[in-house]
Amino acid sequence: MASHFSGVLQLTDLDDFITPSQECVKPVKVEKKQGKSVAKIQIEDDGSYVQVNKDGGRQKLEKAKITLNDCLACSGCITSAESVLITQQSHEELFKVLHSNKVQPCGPQKMVVVSLSPQSRASLAAHCGLSSSEAGRRLTAFFKGLGVHHVFDTGFSRTFSLLESQREFVERYKRREQDKKALPMLTSACPGWICYAEKTHGEFILPYISTTRSPQQMMGSLVKQYFAQQKGLNPQQIYHVAVMPCFDKKLEASRSDFYINKDETREVDCVITSGEVEKMLEEENVSLKDLQPSAPDSLFSSVCGEEFLSHAGSGSGGYLHHVFTFAAKQLFGEEVTELTYKTLRNKDFQEVILEKDGVVLLSFALAYGFRNIQNLVQKLKKGKSPYHFVEVMACPSGCLNGGGQVKPSSGQNPKDLLMKVEELYKAEHPLLPEEDPHIAELYQSWLHCVGEERVKELLHTQYHTVEKMTNGLTMKW
Amino acid sequence: MSDMKENLILEHRLSAHPDSRCWFVAWSPSGSLLASCGGDKSVRIWGREGDSWVCKSILEDGHQRTVRKVAWSPCGNYLASASFDATTCIWKKKNDGFESLTVLEGHENEVKCVAWAPSGNLLATCSRDKSVWVWEVDEDDEYECVTVVNSHTQDVKHVVWHPNQELLASASYDNNICIYKEEDDDWECRATLQGHTSTVWGLCFDTSGERLASCSDDRTVKIWKEYPSESGQDLSWKCVCTLSGYHRRTVYDVSWCQLTAALATACGDDAVRVFKEDEGGDPNQPVFSLVAQATRAHNQDVNCVAWNPKEAGLLASCSDDGDIAIWRFKED
Amino acid sequence: MLSLVSFTVTKVLEFSKRDITRNVPRTKKMEEKALEVYDVIRSIRDPEKPNTLEELDVVTEKCVEVQDLGDEEYLIIIKFSPTVPHCSLATLIGLCLQVKLQRCLPFKHKLEIYIAEGTHSTEEDINKQINDKERVAAAMENPNLREIVEQCVLEPDD
Repeated sequence: MASHFSGVLQLTDLDDFITPSQECVKPVKVEKKQGKSVAKIQIEDDGSYVQVNKDGGRQKLEKAKITLNDCLACSGCITSAESVLITQQSHEELFKVLHSNKVQPCGPQKMVVVSLSPQSRASLAAHCGLSSSEAGRRLTAFFKGLGVHHVFDTGFSRTFSLLESQREFVERYKRREQDKKALPMLTSACPGWICYAEKTHGEFILPYISTTRSPQQMMGSLVKQYFAQQKGLNPQQIYHVAVMPCFDKKLEASRSDFYINKDETREVDCVITSGEVEKMLEEENVSLKDLQPSAPDSLFSSVCGEEFLSHAGSGSGGYLHHVFTFAAKQLFGEEVTELTYKTLRNKDFQEVILEKDGVVLLSFALAYGFRNIQNLVQKLKKGKSPYHFVEVMACPSGCLNGGGQVKPSSGQNPKDLLMKVEELYKAEHPLLPEEDPHIAELYQSWLHCVGEERVKELLHTQYHTVEKMTNGLTMKW
Repeated sequence: MSDMKENLILEHRLSAHPDSRCWFVAWSPSGSLLASCGGDKSVRIWGREGDSWVCKSILEDGHQRTVRKVAWSPCGNYLASASFDATTCIWKKKNDGFESLTVLEGHENEVKCVAWAPSGNLLATCSRDKSVWVWEVDEDDEYECVTVVNSHTQDVKHVVWHPNQELLASASYDNNICIYKEEDDDWECRATLQGHTSTVWGLCFDTSGERLASCSDDRTVKIWKEYPSESGQDLSWKCVCTLSGYHRRTVYDVSWCQLTAALATACGDDAVRVFKEDEGGDPNQPVFSLVAQATRAHNQDVNCVAWNPKEAGLLASCSDDGDIAIWRFKED
Repeated sequence: MLSLVSFTVTKVLEFSKRDITRNVPRTKKMEEKALEVYDVIRSIRDPEKPNTLEELDVVTEKCVEVQDLGDEEYLIIIKFSPTVPHCSLATLIGLCLQVKLQRCLPFKHKLEIYIAEGTHSTEEDINKQINDKERVAAAMENPNLREIVEQCVLEPDD
């Protein structure tokens, strides 16, 4: 099976020769039974394993189960996580929840919330020949028709991510003299990049990475930690699904940092990709084109009337754009209205400079794709990186080109499709994060009174170095 | 057979990496120096002094583990060494010796090969991590990664550049050969050559670059020829000749002489062999004949053969026994 | 009639005798070599268990075959049976066999190590890996792997 993960994640696959099903080297705890040290294990025709003891007794062996968290905490392989993911996070799981709500109207009901990313909206819009906003409205109708209670927009929670990134950058900039690892600040929204950083460059690189949560996990906080309370529900009673342009987002949702221990629930229960939504539509025999649009769920959506709003800058969230304009104003009193992106080595490596009287005040960059991430990391290691801020994404061309987006139809040129998706994404009007009254109100009503520590927990996260495997017994060579 | 032996005359035998393996040898572009590398983690530079070959310098402390391959830049002023320690070291000629200029990091594990493009601006590396990387060198001797391609499903054993185009070929443990080209600001695998039934260990283009020789653990050598592409998209390479029955064990290396078109092989049966194409044959079905062989060329597996780029018929080989042998190939 | 039969019989006997006289020393020599090889590998310890490969039936006398390559060089073929059909330890055992024979065998040889047919789920993959001398050399430079192999190939009375 070809892997769906981003190229960066496939590269962290440190081993190489055993097929995926046998690939896992994570040591599993085994119940040791006395007096059975010498036994043979045979493979049966059906592929099951049978232990044959010295006395001839036979015993079928249980398959070891590996959870996704085991995979994330292991520096062995990554590809085997894929089969684990497929069983835990798929559109079938969403169907299961919706079905159980339906057949047991008096049983324990789950409130089902779907948070749709702007990139997925654009991908499905391109696929169906609609505008991005129109696709958003029709997807809202589609999900609600299936029994989903709320359809939110992660463009809304992205406003939190952008505001927090702006503040974090200014704060880091101010302590850059005392803290050598305050800058450059590297963005954290891309889970493929985070996983790679944790597994390969751990301690060295993690301090540079912004602690601000990604839009998906901001929404997780908002839905499970705020919305649930507002509705008088236990977070467990909400089933939260995110629709994302990227397969790696499933890994992000599974991180223990985003598990609410006291309520035994994840902030995002399930992530499905744009492509999987397309599959759902097919399975339900529904065409977005024929659906009656629904008004957006304005509670947690960035909208102006019926129109969805977006953010300026890159199709990967516009982090560079927003942090740059904010920092220029906050730190240097410069009002920047238009950013000039200079393409360097390739189209996925661009820089933006703020210069005054011949002095470089701010030096920002976009680094997408593995090759550019490599150069960035190597430059940092050699102390030769000139940047204050880098928007890092694992996929070439960023999130609009995510591995989870709808695949080109037969005969369609992938590059043409990407251009179309970019065009549709950019066609939505941008919203200035600082000027969203709804968000400002939430900072007041939700976050104002919970205390600084709690705000940090709700809007930020942390990263963990994955130790390199040193057990020779399980090492691949 | 006996008269064939006389076609390959041993001129010198050097204990190059004593008590260790000698994995690879490479002639400098001028043909005056020979670089060798091995299990002793060092690179050694050999030169002729009068009638004998002497070690001119030893490049140590660059690597923590085995140095698997070594490559000269086309100008002859730089050396690149690929090591099991996951790094590639760039050395610069200085006065009489070499000094370490920079270390290229990024591969997850053993770097198996390094090769300089004919322009001297690009460098390719490959590794057990299944990837092939292309690096670009700027005027300040800074190296940046231009691409990382994952077209193989296993350990990549060898990379080699086309002699006059920016075209790269790689050989792998997955039995395949991939050919890459730059396309729209990134490198892409444009052809996958399937045919070997086990690990492909070595590759070499002929002078024109129209043909590629490959050698494998399947004990054969294959000759591939480029054909005009039918679809216009992918490059088209077809196997036009398979040399089987000559090698008794794994063929570790193949070298195509740029001056005489003789094809030399290094084999795990301790032998060095030389083949020549029969004249007047069909270019689509060339026939190669064994014209020389030294069955006991070394005491152990022969790992590498390299024709001198300037002196026709001068061949270097190296082996697991730690020795380098210098041969004189004479045609009848 | 009778003489004809006896003539035929003696002919047959002569033939077989000649066959034997030609083959016996060689076979015997190969058997001796095989035993010599077996003597080197029998005491290798299992990477996980306290037992030797011989005690665990991973290797037996029968699993070693030696062929004459001429010029005092021999081809050794070993077919071992891992106790567990799926584990990564099979490659480690292969590594131990490679390393110990490389170090201890007093005669010139080429070595091929395989997993006995039907005893491992990824036979071909493992066979390919343990016979790739580059992979073996690199593995032995990994300190964690090296430590385990060194312990396994340590002579009990050393």
